[in-house]
Amino acid sequence: MKKLIILFIVFISFNQAQAQVQHGNVLIKNGTVITITKGTLENTDVLVKDGKISQIGKNIAAPTGYTVIDATNKFVMPGIIDAHSHIALTAINEYSNAITPEVWTGDELNPFDISIYRALAGGVTVSHALHGSGNAIGGQSETIKHRYGTLDMDVLRMENAPRTIKFALGENPTTHGRNSGLQPQTRMGVEFVIREAFSEARQYMETWDKYNKEKLVKGFRGAPPTYSLRLETLADILKGNIILHCHSYRADEINMLLKVCKEFGVKRLVFQHVNEGFKVAPELAAAGAMASVFSDWWAYKLEVYYSTAYNAAILTRNGVVTSINSDSGELIRHLFHEAAKTQKYGGLSDDEALSLITINPAKQLGIENRVGSLEVGKDGDIAIFQKHPLSIYAIPMITIVDGVVRFDREKDPDDMRIYVDPKQVVDIPTIQSHDHDHDNCLRGTEMFTNKMLGLN
Amino acid sequence: MKKFYSYPFNRWALLMLFCWPFSLLAQDDALAPVSRTYALTNATIIQAPGRKIEAATIVIKNGLIQSVGKGITTPPEAIIIRADSFFIYAGFIDGLSRIGVNKPKDDVSKERPKDPGNPTPERAGITPHNDVRTVLNPTEKSLEEMRGIGFTTAHVVPYGGMLPGNGSIILLGGTSADAMIVSHKNSFYSELTPAERAYPTTVMGVMAKYRDLYRQATLTKNYQSLYASNRAGIERPSSDRILESFYPVIDKRQTVFFKAEKVLELQRVLTLQKELGFTLTLIEVKEGWDMIPKVKASNAQIFLSLDLPEEKKDEKKTDEKKADSVKQAEKPKSAAELEKEVLEKRRTDFIAKYVGQASAYQKAGVKFGFSTLTAKSKDIPANLRRMIKAGLTEDAALASLTTTPAEIFGLSDRLGTVDNGKIANLVISDKPYFNEKAKVRYVFVDGVLYKQEVSEVKKADANAKVEIEGSWSVTTVTPQGTAQSTLTIKKEGTVYSGEIKITGSPLPLPEKLTSIALEGNVLKIAYSISIDGKSMDVKMDVIIDGITFKGNTTVASETFPVEGKKDPKF
Amino acid sequence: MKRKIQYLIISLLLIGFVASAQNPKAKSGTFALTHASIETITKGVITHGTIIIQKGKITAVGTNVSVPSDAIVIDCTGKWIYPGMIDGGTRVGLLEIGQIPQASDEHETGQVIPQMKALTAVNPNSVLIPVTRISGVTTVITAPGGGMFPGTAALINLHGYVPDQMFAGFEGLVMNFPNQSRRGYYDRRTDEDIKKDVEKVTKQMNDIWDRAVEYYKLDSATKGKGLTYYPEMTAFLPVVRGEQNLMIEVNAANDIKAALKWVADRKIKKVIFTGVAEGWRMADEIAKAKIPVVVGPTLEEPTRDYDRYDKPYANAGLMKKAGVKIALRTSHAENVRNLPYYAGFAAAYGLGREEALKSVTIVPAEIFGVADKFGSIEVGKVANVFVCDGDPFETKTNIHHVFIEGWQIPMVSRQTQLYEEFLKRDPGLNKN
Repeated sequence: MKKLIILFIVFISFNQAQAQVQHGNVLIKNGTVITITKGTLENTDVLVKDGKISQIGKNIAAPTGYTVIDATNKFVMPGIIDAHSHIALTAINEYSNAITPEVWTGDELNPFDISIYRALAGGVTVSHALHGSGNAIGGQSETIKHRYGTLDMDVLRMENAPRTIKFALGENPTTHGRNSGLQPQTRMGVEFVIREAFSEARQYMETWDKYNKEKLVKGFRGAPPTYSLRLETLADILKGNIILHCHSYRADEINMLLKVCKEFGVKRLVFQHVNEGFKVAPELAAAGAMASVFSDWWAYKLEVYYSTAYNAAILTRNGVVTSINSDSGELIRHLFHEAAKTQKYGGLSDDEALSLITINPAKQLGIENRVGSLEVGKDGDIAIFQKHPLSIYAIPMITIVDGVVRFDREKDPDDMRIYVDPKQVVDIPTIQSHDHDHDNCLRGTEMFTNKMLGLN
Repeated sequence: MKKFYSYPFNRWALLMLFCWPFSLLAQDDALAPVSRTYALTNATIIQAPGRKIEAATIVIKNGLIQSVGKGITTPPEAIIIRADSFFIYAGFIDGLSRIGVNKPKDDVSKERPKDPGNPTPERAGITPHNDVRTVLNPTEKSLEEMRGIGFTTAHVVPYGGMLPGNGSIILLGGTSADAMIVSHKNSFYSELTPAERAYPTTVMGVMAKYRDLYRQATLTKNYQSLYASNRAGIERPSSDRILESFYPVIDKRQTVFFKAEKVLELQRVLTLQKELGFTLTLIEVKEGWDMIPKVKASNAQIFLSLDLPEEKKDEKKTDEKKADSVKQAEKPKSAAELEKEVLEKRRTDFIAKYVGQASAYQKAGVKFGFSTLTAKSKDIPANLRRMIKAGLTEDAALASLTTTPAEIFGLSDRLGTVDNGKIANLVISDKPYFNEKAKVRYVFVDGVLYKQEVSEVKKADANAKVEIEGSWSVTTVTPQGTAQSTLTIKKEGTVYSGEIKITGSPLPLPEKLTSIALEGNVLKIAYSISIDGKSMDVKMDVIIDGITFKGNTTVASETFPVEGKKDPKF
Repeated sequence: MKRKIQYLIISLLLIGFVASAQNPKAKSGTFALTHASIETITKGVITHGTIIIQKGKITAVGTNVSVPSDAIVIDCTGKWIYPGMIDGGTRVGLLEIGQIPQASDEHETGQVIPQMKALTAVNPNSVLIPVTRISGVTTVITAPGGGMFPGTAALINLHGYVPDQMFAGFEGLVMNFPNQSRRGYYDRRTDEDIKKDVEKVTKQMNDIWDRAVEYYKLDSATKGKGLTYYPEMTAFLPVVRGEQNLMIEVNAANDIKAALKWVADRKIKKVIFTGVAEGWRMADEIAKAKIPVVVGPTLEEPTRDYDRYDKPYANAGLMKKAGVKIALRTSHAENVRNLPYYAGFAAAYGLGREEALKSVTIVPAEIFGVADKFGSIEVGKVANVFVCDGDPFETKTNIHHVFIEGWQIPMVSRQTQLYEEFLKRDPGLNKN
């Protein structure tokens, strides 16, 4: 048994195992430094030593061996964080069962995905590689750092980031239920599926606790309970070891999950998309639940028809920690622009608007002590812009992760692929369809494929 | 005349001409050789990488290498094969493939199961209890193809999904499945292959299921041992053939062979190994050049794939284009052309990494074998040459085909080198094996001789110089069967003469050839035969390639393929 | 702090509006927009200027304009006036809720159905329309999608109660050129399959065109009499005659090349290319052919993994530089409101602000043959204008007034209404 326990510990701590992460030394000179949490400082330098911000101030001399970047007339802000994306993944939906908490997108990481580079070219240094929303309880997800250029899946993982998991409510899981003739096919069914899973996990936990206790008695000779990675993971949610990120749109379903989580003692809860979050903003705030929203996506399906682009502003004004996410390899390239929309739709201040893509998503991922603002001791994840990042004319120029320049608009070649296809020279281009009838959370599920290819 | 060529007579004549002896010949093939003792004499023998003896002899007896070396006396019962100027190697060992394995006829239904989240283990691809021995087929076609390029041993696994079953080491020859087995349950074969339309549908699903099963098995195994130690008073553990299949893996009595073609698969497999701690052999690795430190750190054994991406095909065309572009040298290249050039260069450079993978592993001091799961047998010799050209030493290539896999499989006492007492698995080529022009002439598997038909199609070449004098065994393939004949050609001064004799035919043969014309490597001969006092003309046009030829023979307006081989001078 | 105050003022203004009109209607009449900076597009910027709107038209523009006595005066001090923006390709009015077939009218079944008319299916009461127009987009092309010839697109103004009231004077026949590309990551066809598909569809396309030309010849010979009912061919007639524009959706470089040749070989007179995602690869060729282009969306991922990350942003600028006439489009239904941002990105990545502005105003008006009515602020033109508090491309800029054909549009949409209702919900957390 001891062996097994060690095995579990090894698994849990595997995430923490230090991969060969590259840390850099860089000095950014004379920029307008938007710290997010501590105001905006003109003509200021930022020193990054061994991957961490070691000093913010004026006239810092460059130690030898440091990369020096002149940021005169430029804007320096913390690397942007996307709390909801599906880039850098080879698959996102294990949709075959209503409950699949045992799967983990960390197993599907793809450091070669060009989308990582494109995200860097939008100043994004951290993203949450989420499982899809085909099932009520989806898979565990991985918080990644955009260390593009590495070939190593492990280097992409953000070391020590808390575990997260994806849940999904509403049309996606119920449509999938209808297609396969199984539960859930309604929002009632979704609630039941989640309650049932939590209840079974509670039982599982109790059974194992009892067994482990009995086992300590000398001469105990009993059968261990059946092991289940699925229930084990659910139990970890109940124990508070995993942050729950839930795909949701409508106010009623958001309210439902708030109640279920309260009942089962699940405290760390972030709603994703949450288009009708504005309708239950007081309830969200009271529960300490957070919201990660689109800037303005709506009307692609019924449950987002009654949306408003003022969502982020209403949530913020009601005291809900809110972020703006991409859910898209396209949108992730200009989250700074998406954040700016809250200035039009609700009049958020510059710091409020930029918090939506920096410190707030960091809080939602449980990494706010590492990233999300420019402060001494935090990671050297920095985006440098020409023009203010909330201006439509803003252009990300340089993006730095752990003190290493990972994007440089002026120096990078056009072709930034790491591996190339040995079979073909000139790609057949991909021309995206512009039918806005989906979020990207269903990628890989049958109903999605069927729809896009007209098989249904 | 018209009546003469009427169908019934025509058929009869053909039958008389070629097919009379057919039934006899067919039986002849199935006959056991007159002796199981062979002596290959006067050959260059590469006993192991870096261990070469020249003008040496091997004696094979009872399926084993009885003796090898210089000045060995050949036993009187030995069939002697003069292997002058031939090269003899230990038979090659394929690290993993499905040669000789029956593909399930009804591939598990891809229909969506009623509850896709809870499919049967078979539907999910979870059949680790399957044993490749139950699906071996000694007449399977790929056995012959692989033998033809020098492989005599293979580690084979069943078809399936994420956990297809146990693999065995087989000989690429034998009369029954059991006779082919060298050693069984050698491997616990695994892939990151999802099930279709049923759980697990993704790689992450497969990995989660793998962890789940492995840990379940660890628990049930412990409990079974507890139960076995004292059964009284505790619940009887239920039997579970899936979980039980993991037990030898957990005990490290069996190695997990994990397919890992792509760089990401490789990393994922190493992740699983790191977490679960099983003994690992990576197979069919194609994109592993950047992962050498990781592979080293994992202590995993590794088999590199013998499949390589194709080189640029249209080189001739580019030559023509070059000629064109010389003509139009003044026309500047369009942006699209320039872009394509740059991209083509990146691709070429990248293909070089696949080709150079083996060399990179050699330089890093990692021993590796080769596997052929996704390789086509016809490409393998050329792919080996490409790897050698990219820096892999010939010795290392040979080691990867022989000694290293023998070591990995723990079969060095039986396989991998040409040494006394080892299983008589040999490959004999007419030039050093890695030479482009080398052809495998004989293969011994378990002491059984397989002559190789040299069957490369040669093009007509007016400038080629060939020697046609001598005695040729000619095989004609007709719908009724295969006929054998002997063609003898002599040369006096500059004039050729010859005769042909059909083996076992009742017809009045040999017939003198009525014409012999040699132009370059194209030989045209004609003769006539007389049946019932009537004469029929026969023509044969063939292209000579060294000591073989291929072509057609035409008689009574019917054409049949024909092949010939010069009889060795013994 | 300044922002907060601004936000409070704006909220108060909006609340006031909603309170006064539960179902706000547009107002007509004579309007005087005074003390504004006016971006005329065609005649430079007028500072401290006035615009007079009467009977749906702009009747006066300038610094020295007398305000009619009956005019409703709107003081635009510190504000800017721009011509209403034109989106060169949308699904507005056709598509209400993407995923619900019953709420989607943009895609009729059939490969060759040029007789379908988008204008017919425009829903003037679409919830999407107010959302769009209060962001300054007053006029859009709404186009059908689907097969090779899915129907006729129409230019509409985003105000009116029946489609005819919205029609802005242009219709074009939509054509989806055979497409040698993937539709997305989910498109798993092999390269060979794609090539085969294209060959097949190309053959079909040529056959259809030959037939259309034949029909045209017979129609001319018979003076339109004696031909049997053939609605598809009838729909092609104006294009074959060179009276109507053929709007060819074409994106991949090879397809653009093929389309250029196809058009040239057939001597088709009026052609517009739309989409043109890889236009930058063929910019010189398109410029040489003098075919105008409606390009977009700007905010799109590169079409190939090895392409520079910013090519879709830069596409419009690169084509413009090569001499192509370009207008922009969003390709959206629900977020056509983002057209100014699409233009802003194009501006930042090489097109420049001035050209970007033209590409959403006067250039589309020219391409669609309605430059006499739309696309700039000039006397005699239709009064499609909006008043804003800054550069309309800047994300934070707010639009304060919108006029469409002289009607003052209520600055309300369901999205603003939801904001009003829920910013401070009542009851809040506790009902009592």
